Amino acid sequence: MIEVQSLTKRFADEAAVSEVTFSVRQGEIVGFLGPNGAGKTTTMRVLTGFLPPTGGAARIAGHDIVKESRQARANLGYLPESAALYPEMRVREYLAYRARLEGVAGSQVGPRVDEAVARCLLEEVAERKVENLSRGYRQRTALAGALVHQPPVLILDEPTVGLDPAQIIKIREMIRSLGRERAVLLSTHILPEVDAVCDRVLIIDRGRIIAEGTPQELRGRMAGSPVVRAAFKGEVPAREAVAGLPGVVAVEQGNGDGETRLRIECAEGSDPAEEIFHLAVARGWILRELSREALSLEDVFVRLTRHESASAEATADPSADSSAEASAKAEAEAKAEAKAEAPVKAEGDS
Amino acid sequence: MRKFLAIVGREWRAYFLSPLAYVILAAFLVMNGLIFYAIVSFLNAPNAPKGQALPYLFTNTYFWIFNLFVVPIISMRLFAEERKSGTIEILLTSPVTETEAVLGKFAGALGFFLTLWAPTLLYVWILRSQTPIDLGPVASGYLAILLLGAYFLSVGTFASTLTKNQIVAAILAFGMLIPIFSAGLAQSMVVSPGARDVLGYFNLWDHMDEFARGIVDTRRLVYYLSATALFLFLSVVSLTAKKERP
Repeated sequence: MIEVQSLTKRFADEAAVSEVTFSVRQGEIVGFLGPNGAGKTTTMRVLTGFLPPTGGAARIAGHDIVKESRQARANLGYLPESAALYPEMRVREYLAYRARLEGVAGSQVGPRVDEAVARCLLEEVAERKVENLSRGYRQRTALAGALVHQPPVLILDEPTVGLDPAQIIKIREMIRSLGRERAVLLSTHILPEVDAVCDRVLIIDRGRIIAEGTPQELRGRMAGSPVVRAAFKGEVPAREAVAGLPGVVAVEQGNGDGETRLRIECAEGSDPAEEIFHLAVARGWILRELSREALSLEDVFVRLTRHESASAEATADPSADSSAEASAKAEAEAKAEAKAEAPVKAEGDS
Repeated sequence: MRKFLAIVGREWRAYFLSPLAYVILAAFLVMNGLIFYAIVSFLNAPNAPKGQALPYLFTNTYFWIFNLFVVPIISMRLFAEERKSGTIEILLTSPVTETEAVLGKFAGALGFFLTLWAPTLLYVWILRSQTPIDLGPVASGYLAILLLGAYFLSVGTFASTLTKNQIVAAILAFGMLIPIFSAGLAQSMVVSPGARDVLGYFNLWDHMDEFARGIVDTRRLVYYLSATALFLFLSVVSLTAKKERP
């Protein structure tokens, strides 16, 4: 539904987006992930026809965004980053205006507005003026505006900004349900969102796509060799025994809290967890922890977008906005701790 | 067409949802009320010619001052406000062309301008019940209001596409309207008959006097309509060019 071929957008001499190629199929939710200023919004503005491309081509539902701009625009719903609204209008009035602007037939406007209101949980405020709404309701009103005409393609620039955790979960559920029959491209710099919502991820940095795949694939690609963590009660000579198991490459030991803790690096494709369990049973050691270390998407993201020179600002940027992400970043950097939990924790915070 | 009407309707209603509209409306009615009072006083004089006073509704100094100041204020928000708030992104990514967007907003503003004038029809009705009035000049007077309003508002629309600051848009519009208005007034200051003819073509004050007397000159129609079209076209060009630099 969205096909992008070598899309380039330059401002003066600076390329905001260069040679970006990707596609989004019907029934697929693709996350657009990148630090601030990476080119996410610019790409979306070009796709929605707000900015003309400098080079390359893109099609929305089969319509070229330059030559058939109007048909392309008729097939998409767009939530801009600003989520701008007309403050003097009432929610229902605004949605009716958006529906008419998108060409919904007169008799259909009412039902479509009701549907969007229900879908975005706006019943309570439907007759209120936009200027009197909280940030969360405004964001949902803007989102409702993007889908009131039920377009086959949705382009959402940071759809969950400004929502509280309960609303975030509801809106994500809604986006997932929308994604079943539509093509959805959403940008975010909230990493757990990608894990929670997206089928596929595009990581963009400095105007270029630097990685693409499912969240699992990206983690797998970056993780390298798998790592297993084990902890035994008391001080036991586990290190030597484990090192002898098949598939084990290296073992690091760290003791504390009356435990013997091991970090076991394994050969690719091998999983010595079962052998460690049998070993513990055979030796009579009490096994208190046995887990596979999963690389969080934060780690993938930080590794991919770390630059040699400007690394400090570039990687600090995406986390500067909210405390949730700041904590996510802190977790990512303190790699010694249990990484498998990072996405869950960060989601709870955000 | 449906989309165009959606824009017109939203623009027209947006005026009545802002306090500014009521300030303009009140000021306008006070001004015209005073003019009407003057007209009635004039007609009350024993030697007043019957039915000759109504043109003053369109040809007094206050009429010009009001239009020159108020039209830029009406038009300043059209695009500047949307650009400032970011809603321009929604407007321009919906399946409407730049032309539809410009015409829709312009028509909404013109609708508000005509709404300002609508209550003055009451004056005509009141006068008519007291003294015989020739409706021909009244109709041509209101036609002139429509033409002049469209012309000035098209200039204001163009000014509003140039900036995201509404005050700057109003000042730009005023800055363009002043030469447009005063060029023709220079007619009386030049001697060369050729130059006088040319300047007469732009003498809005004289045109308005003609219309108010019931003279509908095709040259005037051509001037107002083509100038309006020119500024609306410039607005479309400006809006399209601005897409390069959001």
